[in-house]
Amino acid sequence: MEKQLEDLKTAFCEDLDHIRKPEEIELLRIQYLGRKGRLTSILRQMGTLSAEERPRMGALSNTLKTFLEGSLEEKTRSFSTEAPVSGIDVTLPGRVLRRGSIHVINQVMAEVEGIFHNLGFATATGPEVEDDYHNFEALNLPENHPARDMQATFYFPEGTLLRTHTSPVQIRVMESTELPVRIISPGKVYRCDFDISHSPMFHQVEGLWVEEGISFAHLKGVLYEFIHTLFGPDIPLRFRASFFPFTEPSAEVDMGCIICKGKGCRVCGNSGWLEILGCGMVDPEVYRFVGIDPEKVTGFAFGLGIERVAMLKYGIDDIRLFFENDLRFLSQFSTKGMP
Amino acid sequence: MKISYNWIREYVDLDADVYRASEALTMSGTQVEEILPQTVPREVICARVTEVRPHPNADKLLVCTVDTGKETLQVVCGAPNTKAGMMSAFAPVGCDLGGGMLVKKAKIRGEESFGVLLSERELGLTDDHTGIMEFDCETHPGDVLVDALDLTDWVIDLNVTPNRGDCLSVIGIARELSALFRTNLKRPVFTIQEDPEPIESKLSVEILSPEGCPRYSARFLKDIAIAKSPFWMRRRLFQSGVRAISNVVDITNYVMLEYGQPLHAFDSTLIAGGGIVVQKAHEGQTFVTLDSIQRFLRKEDLLICDTTKPVALAGVMGGENSEVLETTKSVVLESAFFDPKGIQRTSKGLNLSTEASYRFERGIDPQVQVDAANRAAWLMSEYAHARVLSGVIDVNAFTYPCREITLRKAYLEKVLGIRDTRTEDVNSIFTSLGCEVKGVDAGWLIAVPAFRHDLCREIDLVEEFIRIYGMDMVEADLPTFKPRKLTFEETQINGLRVSLSAMGLTEVVTYSFISPRWKVFFASEALELLNPISDEMKIMRTSLIPGLAGVVERNKKLQNRDLSIFEIGRCFIPRTGDKLPEERYRLGVAMSGQRFDPHWSEKGRQADFYDLKGVAETLLGGVELKPSNHPCYKAGFQADILLDDAVAGTIGCLHPDLLKMIDVSDDVTVLELSLDAILLRKWQGLSEIMKFPSTWRDLSLVVDEKVSYQDILKTIHALRIHEIRQVSPVDLYAGEKLPAGKKGITIRITYQSGSRTLEDATISAWQDQIVKSLEKDSGIQLRQ
Repeated sequence: MEKQLEDLKTAFCEDLDHIRKPEEIELLRIQYLGRKGRLTSILRQMGTLSAEERPRMGALSNTLKTFLEGSLEEKTRSFSTEAPVSGIDVTLPGRVLRRGSIHVINQVMAEVEGIFHNLGFATATGPEVEDDYHNFEALNLPENHPARDMQATFYFPEGTLLRTHTSPVQIRVMESTELPVRIISPGKVYRCDFDISHSPMFHQVEGLWVEEGISFAHLKGVLYEFIHTLFGPDIPLRFRASFFPFTEPSAEVDMGCIICKGKGCRVCGNSGWLEILGCGMVDPEVYRFVGIDPEKVTGFAFGLGIERVAMLKYGIDDIRLFFENDLRFLSQFSTKGMP
Repeated sequence: MKISYNWIREYVDLDADVYRASEALTMSGTQVEEILPQTVPREVICARVTEVRPHPNADKLLVCTVDTGKETLQVVCGAPNTKAGMMSAFAPVGCDLGGGMLVKKAKIRGEESFGVLLSERELGLTDDHTGIMEFDCETHPGDVLVDALDLTDWVIDLNVTPNRGDCLSVIGIARELSALFRTNLKRPVFTIQEDPEPIESKLSVEILSPEGCPRYSARFLKDIAIAKSPFWMRRRLFQSGVRAISNVVDITNYVMLEYGQPLHAFDSTLIAGGGIVVQKAHEGQTFVTLDSIQRFLRKEDLLICDTTKPVALAGVMGGENSEVLETTKSVVLESAFFDPKGIQRTSKGLNLSTEASYRFERGIDPQVQVDAANRAAWLMSEYAHARVLSGVIDVNAFTYPCREITLRKAYLEKVLGIRDTRTEDVNSIFTSLGCEVKGVDAGWLIAVPAFRHDLCREIDLVEEFIRIYGMDMVEADLPTFKPRKLTFEETQINGLRVSLSAMGLTEVVTYSFISPRWKVFFASEALELLNPISDEMKIMRTSLIPGLAGVVERNKKLQNRDLSIFEIGRCFIPRTGDKLPEERYRLGVAMSGQRFDPHWSEKGRQADFYDLKGVAETLLGGVELKPSNHPCYKAGFQADILLDDAVAGTIGCLHPDLLKMIDVSDDVTVLELSLDAILLRKWQGLSEIMKFPSTWRDLSLVVDEKVSYQDILKTIHALRIHEIRQVSPVDLYAGEKLPAGKKGITIRITYQSGSRTLEDATISAWQDQIVKSLEKDSGIQLRQ
């Protein structure tokens, strides 16, 4: 009987394959599962089996019955999913809404601001046309000081200038608010340089945290957190002593090259490191200008160029692309799937 | 600053190789930007020219026989200094000299040549190409040149920060390395054999301007033989990018690089009266410097004069009238300290920066003048056969107070966020930097050497400590803080950008300075830069429109025809009574070409005025437009945007003349809005959703062309029917079926009450009322 059941299954599968029209399915069902069908006729022999064999055969035939029913059902479904005779051409293009995009610099700016907002920093802004006092003097950069040569400045006949960094915002904030101060100052800055890696206008985000007990160790902590959020948790950093008139001690921060992972490549000039930030502890002289007692509080400041971050992040090698505004460039930064 | 690593190593005991030393310098604040290995291929050897004969077929060439120690070769050479018996540098066939120079067997005008005799320039050793190399030390044929002359070296290119004038010298860098590696600093060792004749018999020095020149030292040298400097000196100068001139001039430059003390040598016969007088120039005085340029001086510029005339522009450049020439036999050697601020003023004022002024501006060591003069005098006696008159003139008005600064341990640790600072670290760091350290109650009392002009305050010592100790030794620590809620403004602008880009607009960022060509289209006054990058980037924008139009211009040239763009940025409006302009944050939007991408189901449409107005309405809700007359827009196609009765912006199609200027044939429509207007729109609060059904009725009207849609709205709203939920135009037509001077408009009025279902009769009554009012106010008829 077991053999009979097996043969029945084989025959059924063959017949099922030959079915071309839905109406043939019912005929097949009757042929195998009907009251006078082939399975029924085999099951009639159950009575002739021994008491030991009967449960096993019962189970086998039940499985077969389920299989037959399932196969027939599936076949029925397969017919119903075939295309209807008439309807629309679903392959024609849909009405796509043209995607605009946020300028890549502003996207990076928002990301950087977002990280610092999460670290408790508030945004502060100030004028782009500044006076000498806020841009230089109060930042411990007296007139004729050689350090001024580090920042080629645009001047107006009135003696005013285009800010060369967003640090004057820090001065304005310290002049006008109560301590503690924990701000970032994002915005446009200007320097008289124009080539593949210098734009006369670019964007910076600077940060300032002045409060009792703030130390260089905290500066490191905040910047590690920032870089690791922006570029990835395993990026190494190194703090290199440097000089800025408004901070002391001052440091340049290099991060391990994200292109070559520190092995040395064209982007990092084979050093394995990329300059990314300038920072330091606020110089007591700056506190003097804004009337804060440097014995009571300490604080740190840092600054980074957004174009540099964007260039590294997206592999852009010419800073001028940001401001040429070629739509074929800009539209690549539509928000769809951007990292 | 470029210097030879071997030179530095003469003054510091150092096991570290150039790479480790450079890394340490970089981490401590003196960045090594590049390490340039310097060597010569080992195939290049010393060889003797044993025989020289003229080339049979070329006047300027010679055929030499060269003894390489192993063999005798024929070599064709063109150098004028070639002579039999000389030793020179020789590269045999097969030697790769780098830069594509591979030595091959050659036949030059019929004579075979089996290698090349080389000049110093061809070996990259100096820029001397006057002849083949000659040696000033003993060599033998077959000696490997790089070993015989000890040529293996590295040039390190250092970026010295403006506060570290003391590092602008070989000894300065050696001192840094001695601190970083805690090893010994060494000083040049030499003994001068003085002539009995005293300097006073030949020279006097008077300082009339001690604030500009607190110290002036001088030595007098005679019986000088001007010649070429020794090879090793010329090479080091070349490595530092200094051109070799003659032994006397080269020695002054060499000592400047070594000690950081700029020196100047005058031909003593050109110093009238044997008297040096240091004094201020008078306003308008002229003086011809070494570079043969006539300089116009101001009264603050400092001059070195003899008894009759100026002979040098102090600290910046010598004069042409007292220059050391080939004929010079005796020199006055100047080694002075000039006030940094004064040199800064002169250098800036004359736009003249030299190696000397660069160092004086940053502050040199006020105690090294005599040492440096002695070092140069000794070198001149060694390499220029000079006899050194006895004694040094040293007029010194310098009163340098010994700076003793207390460094409190608690302060050091508070600023850096470190603990358990060890006294031995503080001692060794500051001692190796040339300071004296004494332990006091709260920390240390540190006496700072005179050459460290940058160390004046306690915080300067904190920096000094950590840059040598290593910033990596400070463990990062994230301070604790409370989370902060973002302000409304912080979230708004980015939200606006997201909205605009979702409307299909691409954000651009243009320069804040624009070309003067836009001026005619914008009536307002604008700030102008004194020193723009170019004339095209000169005027501070008073509107975002020029920038946007410029983007359209550029993109149309790049065949990007369909543009929908926006920019958010500041405009700079000058104001009276304040030097700083008012900075207005604005949004600008421009569209040109197809508004939407073409689709098979519908015909494309050019962006027009109402697309831009739509953007404004999407952002602001209802706005009122009042026809305007701005020169940048086309007449009749422009308006001011009013919000709560104040002008919040403008909208219009760009003027045909402006389009012509940017060579764009399509219409360009622009919207400019004050950002405040957009950001100040706040949520009005939740309103109840009405339960009763709404009903709408259309009215087809025949309207005089002069009547605006706004007029119709005003009439309807004046009736104060509170159940009117919305009025909107659903069709607009003109044409033959209407009388001349008329237009047709169909408006749809939607009614809804918050308290009942409106009956037909009520609505009909309102409709009648509206029709009557429209007729009365504006002569509007229902269309039949």
